[in-house]
Amino acid sequence: MNSMQATADSSARPALMRHFLGLMGKTLFIALVLAFFVIPVLWLVFAPFDAHPSLTIKAPQFTFHNFEVLFQTPGAIASLGNSIILALGTMILVLVLGALASYALSRVKIPGRDILLYTLLLLSSIITGTAAMVPTFLLMVKLGLIDSQLGVILILGSGIMPTVIFILKDFMDSIPKSYEESARIYGAKPLRILWDVGVPLARPGLATIAVWAVVQVWGNFLVPYILLQTPSRTPAAVVIYTFYTEGGQPNLALISAFSLLFSIPVIAMYFFVNTRYGFRFYGGIKS
Amino acid sequence: MSEIDADAAASQKLRKSERVKRKGNRTSEDGDSAGLGKGRAAAFVAPAMLLIAIFLVFPALWTLYLGLTNYRLTGFAATHPRFVGIDNYVNALTDSRFLNSLGLTLLFVLGSAVIGQSVLGFAIAWMMTRVRKGVKSVVEFFVLLAWIVPSSVSTFLWLALLDRNNGTLNTLFGTGTTAWLLQFPMQSIIVFNTWVGTAFSMLLFSSALGAVPPTQLESSKIAGAGAWAQLRDVIFPHIRSHVLTNTILITLWTFNTFTPYLLTAGGPDHRSEILPVYIYRLALSEGSLGQGSAVSLIMILINLVIALVYLRILREKKS
Amino acid sequence: MASIVTTSLVKEYPGGVRGVNGLSLTVNDGEFFALLGPSGCGKTTLLRTIAGLEKTTSGRINIGDRDVTDLEPGKRKIAMVFQDYALFPHMSVADNISYPLKIQKMRKTDRLEEAEKVGDGLSLQGLMERRPGQLSGGQQQRVALGRAIASRPEVFLFDEPLSNLDARLRLEARTFLKKLQIDLGITTVFVTHDQAEALALADRIAIMKAGTLQQLGSPREVFQRPANIFVASFVGSTPMNLLPATVQDGRVLVSGTSLPLPASAEGLVAEGQSVTWGARPEYLHMSTTETADAFLGGVTISENLGASVLLSISVGESNVRVVVGEDQEPSMGTSVWVKVEPRRSLLFDSDGDRIGK
Ligand SMILES: Nc1ncnc2c1ncn2[C@@H]1O[C@H](COP(=O)(O)OP(=O)(O)OP(=O)(O)O)[C@@H](O)[C@H]1O
Ligand SMILES: [Mg+2]
Repeated sequence: MNSMQATADSSARPALMRHFLGLMGKTLFIALVLAFFVIPVLWLVFAPFDAHPSLTIKAPQFTFHNFEVLFQTPGAIASLGNSIILALGTMILVLVLGALASYALSRVKIPGRDILLYTLLLLSSIITGTAAMVPTFLLMVKLGLIDSQLGVILILGSGIMPTVIFILKDFMDSIPKSYEESARIYGAKPLRILWDVGVPLARPGLATIAVWAVVQVWGNFLVPYILLQTPSRTPAAVVIYTFYTEGGQPNLALISAFSLLFSIPVIAMYFFVNTRYGFRFYGGIKS
Repeated sequence: MSEIDADAAASQKLRKSERVKRKGNRTSEDGDSAGLGKGRAAAFVAPAMLLIAIFLVFPALWTLYLGLTNYRLTGFAATHPRFVGIDNYVNALTDSRFLNSLGLTLLFVLGSAVIGQSVLGFAIAWMMTRVRKGVKSVVEFFVLLAWIVPSSVSTFLWLALLDRNNGTLNTLFGTGTTAWLLQFPMQSIIVFNTWVGTAFSMLLFSSALGAVPPTQLESSKIAGAGAWAQLRDVIFPHIRSHVLTNTILITLWTFNTFTPYLLTAGGPDHRSEILPVYIYRLALSEGSLGQGSAVSLIMILINLVIALVYLRILREKKS
Repeated sequence: MASIVTTSLVKEYPGGVRGVNGLSLTVNDGEFFALLGPSGCGKTTLLRTIAGLEKTTSGRINIGDRDVTDLEPGKRKIAMVFQDYALFPHMSVADNISYPLKIQKMRKTDRLEEAEKVGDGLSLQGLMERRPGQLSGGQQQRVALGRAIASRPEVFLFDEPLSNLDARLRLEARTFLKKLQIDLGITTVFVTHDQAEALALADRIAIMKAGTLQQLGSPREVFQRPANIFVASFVGSTPMNLLPATVQDGRVLVSGTSLPLPASAEGLVAEGQSVTWGARPEYLHMSTTETADAFLGGVTISENLGASVLLSISVGESNVRVVVGEDQEPSMGTSVWVKVEPRRSLLFDSDGDRIGK
């Protein structure tokens, strides 16, 4: 009897041990991952409210003063306005043109349609802003669109347009055709059908695209950096690099407050979409 | 222009699993349920195609031509570019600065994407299948946050973290006044890019792991398989195609990212000058537009190869 | 109101399938017309071609005195109810019903008033603000009808509008539809693959097979005098008895039993000709006493149909089915006589076509 108990114990102990070690390992892993991802962000949370922000993360001497300075800094708030102009402009551009094109491509079999779609997607993935910056810059100079927000919108819009069409077409494809056919029987013309039936039914797709386009443009640094020169036209992503103190040091009070203000819209939008539709769904939204 | 490329396809793949299949419906033979007709359809498509043609395709073709000239941003060659044939390409391919840049780019992609983002992303996704829901949401939130924050901001966060005098890292580790960005520029941007991009791999793998039938996991557990055996025999065969997709997408994005410029500007002494940064400095800072275009084209060609491999995998998966 | 005339209508799909193959028929003004046939025979294709949703390959279509062959669907003055109703999910019932009026640019208050009126007629009071997703199948079907009515068409086209309803609701909706059509008097083409529905509703029925017309007639004609074996076996809730037979001595020999020649075939058949003999189970009489001109056989199966019973009786090699009243049901194995009336039996030739008028 004793021996039986002994064997039971000796087999239980390593199992318990293993379990304990596993738990330790798991906890350690999670702690490290959290440390890696959280520590850099802490600065964004603390520094904006710190009376003497430095590059070190520390418990702040709480103040809103940095935001006051921000609102008084010429061009800071205006640059957020520029970001909004670029983001909304691009969004409207790709929504309107993308909806029209994807609807027609979904409904009418143009010969070589699928090849066209894949070619466009391929093009947009290989002709990136970085790879094509030289000719893009020259093209805008030649077209007189250098230093114009319209130019930035056109470039950013054309870059994401293939993806927009590709995704929207999928949404349009999933709309049962009998809705449009009934509208058609009662005399509705194609544009009207698109507006009355296609657009409302593809709304989840259009919303996805809208959010996605805004996020893309909002964070884009390179294109406005290359194409815009006048400070009053420059968006926040670029302007943030112009905040220096008289001593030539980065103005941390300004930068931290501005960073927070600049980040909140996209974070909010992202988590709004998340709670509304779930992340799986929109996993590919940002790149 | 963005790095989105086939991330469309990826998001679609994620989405398709969610979408409730709508009931199939009858329609006219060419599907033209709205009575568009070919003419009107063309008119609907034309504006979008025109935009793409002028602002996306044309610049790429122009790159091809510019790469064959000695075009410069300023000076005599700006007004009178001369056709120099494949000189630029020969120069590029033999220039040690280009070769250095190409090597750094490979290192960057390998380190931050193929190893950093994939491995970390998978490890997190896998670990998250074995923890409580609350822990999972918290971890996922922060990983995603790194991804969502605009790049101009995240680079500042890392400048603060890595700063020589007051940086958090030095304070935390007591490493004195180590100038991380100057002493370890490549390591720094590799870790930075891993930090930024892990979220995508995590999302993709976590959706892939969710699709592994739980019964198979249980039966392997009952058969006494340890964690490693389970990974190898049950999980990996299920997510093999996701691994491929993920690797190629993040390779493409990492290859084209310009963000490290905001951390190190390619320096010190070209030690972190990955291709996008090289092109920028060569063409727009130093003004060698022709030479820059030649490098651009090389970059587009590499992109093309990666994208074609991806399309091929997609096609194989479909059939 | 208007009639519909199709002339040698052909609809060929890419790939060469002919959904409709040379169809000429006339739907009279104000008529309730059913298109009946098995799955894939081209009913939907014909309806959609009439609607203009499919382009005609050849032939003409007239509605009233207009040739509409090349007209847009919206200009044909038709209304169509789809099998899945195709109600706009993002619009309220009122907006759905008044949609055709919106297209006709009627003022909003006017068209909502009109929708209200139509809704009342279809007992949709109180539902006008709901979305289609919040309605039962029967209610959705009535909304779809309402939208069709509101457009004031000359012609109604219905593609199996009852098939998404459960059995009981279907009967109700059927009666409702019939009454509605009589009240409105609008020419109606109704597609169904349910022969009982077609018999119950239609003024005339067109039976189709593989894109061609098999028979066109009133429900009674189609039921009593099917034009061929295909129609005979397709129409009727219990399939027609169809047995191989030979003409002999001016009578017809069916399964070893000599029966009088069907009245319609008199003088049209030759001695020794091979034919198919047919009679509906409802038109046969069973008797337990010996009867002349009758089959003799044992009862093998008896199936209860409610107020009547379907008996299977084995006669020689074959099986003869007969419907009898519930009081008459014999026990299994009983030998019975099944008498055939010459007036109610038919002969079909070797091509399957009915012999005689
Ligand atoms: N879009 C199409 N392309 C090619 N062939 C088609 C198409 N639609 C229908 N067909 C073919 O045309 C024939 C007639 O189809 P139709 O849908 O008209 O039949 P139906 O009588 O309405 O059948 P059901 O009772 O099943 O609805 C079928 O053989 C079908 O396969
Ligand atoms: Mg049909």
